[in-house]
Amino acid sequence: MKVAELLDLRRRNWQELERLCDEVQTLRKSELNPAVISRFATLYRAACADLALADAYQLPPNTVRYLHQLVARAHNQLYRSRPFEPAAWMELLFEQVPRRIFSDRCVQLAFLLFWGVFILSAVLASRKDLWPDYAEQVLTPSMIHQLEQNFDEPLTGRAYELNLIMAAGYIQHNTSIGLKCFAGGLLIIPGLFVTMFNAGFLGAAFGYMARPEVSAGENFFQFVTAHGPFELTAVVLSAGAGLRLGVSLLITHGFTRVDSLRKTANEAMPIMAAAMILFFLAAFTEAFISPSSLPYVIKAIWAIASSTGLMFYFVVLGFPRRRVRANG
Amino acid sequence: MSRGEVPASFEPFLALYAPHCLVEFPLMSRSVQQLDATIEVVTPENIAFHYRVAGPFSRLAALLMDYALRLMGFGAICLLTLLILALLAIVLPGIRGVFTFLSSFATAILVVSWFVLDWFYGGILETYWNGQTLGKRIFGLRVLTIHGEPINGLQAVLRNVLRYVDLFPLLSLEIFNGLGPEQMFENQRWPSAYVIPTLIVGLVAMMLNRRYQRLGDLVCGTMVVIDERQWLTGIVKLEDQRASQLAGLLPADFVVSPTLARALAMYVDRRRFFSFARRREIAKHLAEPLLKRFGLPLDTSYDLLLCALYYRAFVADLGDAATGAGEDPFRTAQPFRTEDPFRRSALGPPTSVVVPVPSSANSTVA
Repeated sequence: MKVAELLDLRRRNWQELERLCDEVQTLRKSELNPAVISRFATLYRAACADLALADAYQLPPNTVRYLHQLVARAHNQLYRSRPFEPAAWMELLFEQVPRRIFSDRCVQLAFLLFWGVFILSAVLASRKDLWPDYAEQVLTPSMIHQLEQNFDEPLTGRAYELNLIMAAGYIQHNTSIGLKCFAGGLLIIPGLFVTMFNAGFLGAAFGYMARPEVSAGENFFQFVTAHGPFELTAVVLSAGAGLRLGVSLLITHGFTRVDSLRKTANEAMPIMAAAMILFFLAAFTEAFISPSSLPYVIKAIWAIASSTGLMFYFVVLGFPRRRVRANG
Repeated sequence: MSRGEVPASFEPFLALYAPHCLVEFPLMSRSVQQLDATIEVVTPENIAFHYRVAGPFSRLAALLMDYALRLMGFGAICLLTLLILALLAIVLPGIRGVFTFLSSFATAILVVSWFVLDWFYGGILETYWNGQTLGKRIFGLRVLTIHGEPINGLQAVLRNVLRYVDLFPLLSLEIFNGLGPEQMFENQRWPSAYVIPTLIVGLVAMMLNRRYQRLGDLVCGTMVVIDERQWLTGIVKLEDQRASQLAGLLPADFVVSPTLARALAMYVDRRRFFSFARRREIAKHLAEPLLKRFGLPLDTSYDLLLCALYYRAFVADLGDAATGAGEDPFRTAQPFRTEDPFRRSALGPPTSVVVPVPSSANSTVA
């Protein structure tokens, strides 16, 4: 039999498969008729077989190209992308991520860098004898003026409506910074820069406010106490996860650089997800608790509770333990 | 002389057609394959099929389209929210407290939706649309893993978050300070905000690997391919009756080899785009030695000879008339049966079976 006849025989099947591809594309898995799925799979296998035997059939090249594309399209419909599975994510977030964070050298390095620069900057800004103009140089006078103005009056609580908008604003702004820290970490230098810039800037602001002659200081510390633990931890985590990506390019443990990067990415992304959750928690705290007129004790208790929670997450959940289930 | 071996002068003929069909030719080196950016994917069914990888510029178009659509989408959300608020203001004129709460709630939603659109637009769409965003769908692109499988949600989100580095280095808005008419922007000072992407990091990363992966793609092990569709063209109809007549005059024991068949198919498929002189020039390399071998008059049209060979190889088999079609294993082939008709055909490619035909029969066929 000649190719012309073979094509006549097969054309019907190929075109039916093509039509099914169009139909199936718009439907979700639950909406598909089982008969259609099974028909689709049979036609797909038949097209695969035709493609495999294209040489033996001596199909002309344009038909082979058509078959390549048809099989590729059908393949894409048959093996679809899998969305997130909530149960798997819970296990990831509460079992694997804390352990990874606990033993991750990059997170530890980011922690040291962030808090080192933060404390150094705070000390330099609070004491006038070491570097007299430090705070003015880092924060710029206009920024200092604005800061003082913002915290001039004691916190009396904002309108509830304003808090909502501010919460959204904090989510948008802070999480964006965290994501930038993370993504920039891939190239190491931008990630380190964003992290240390934020540490230096925040440290200078804290240090300046801690000066005894600054009257706004007391209000400032009342404001930042409640959400500080969540927010600063989240920055450190996202910087550490990003740094982990960049470092995997340098220290490959015997893999090729790209493979090492790919392997690490699967571990770093859940850490970033945890950091994002912390950013959201911080944003709501910052919007609803920090500016409120609640007594300082309550804000302090909230801060202590959140720090304890974080400690529990990192140390208790994260402490390395032998895997019992993995072997059994 | 019974097999159609490729004559020495066949090589330039192949080379001429190389750009159109790089994959099919095992002769072609890998460097030629790279020109076409084709990636071979082996599926669980043990089939290898080919994808064309999308280059930086079609992807840039999709990216810009996505940015535009995102802005428009955000604009639409804003308008919709305003509309709903306006309607509520009309419906609930008296209850002012509720309205202020609703309006600030709407503002909060707008801010959060901008954040989500900004960072997770691509990730969410690619997860639920099988590797496509709106822009990719418009430009016919699709994200796959490098093994040709669909991406999962983690990969979709991660590759889109990491786009931030692919846009590096970012330029500050300050570069606009010196531009524009002086009097117009006399007091206009652009702030020092590093927001203008240059895409250089992504472009360099794309140039350094075979699949045009940007950094985000490298991290996730994904690639962007062209979601091609092509019409099934099948066999070319030869309008010239002389081709089939000439096919009858060819020696009955001449079997068209697979490589020759492929070259013929490519030639006949594209010959309508060529002028007569060009057809003659291209066909000459193959037709001249074949005419000598077949003992046909040397002034036969080269183009016609190749068409006749094509007719012989693809359209009509002299053997059909002699042996009858009933024994042909393909005749009953039903691709959806599991007792596999392909297995038999795989044992012996049909065209290698030479059916001896008496030379007197030649003139009756065709």
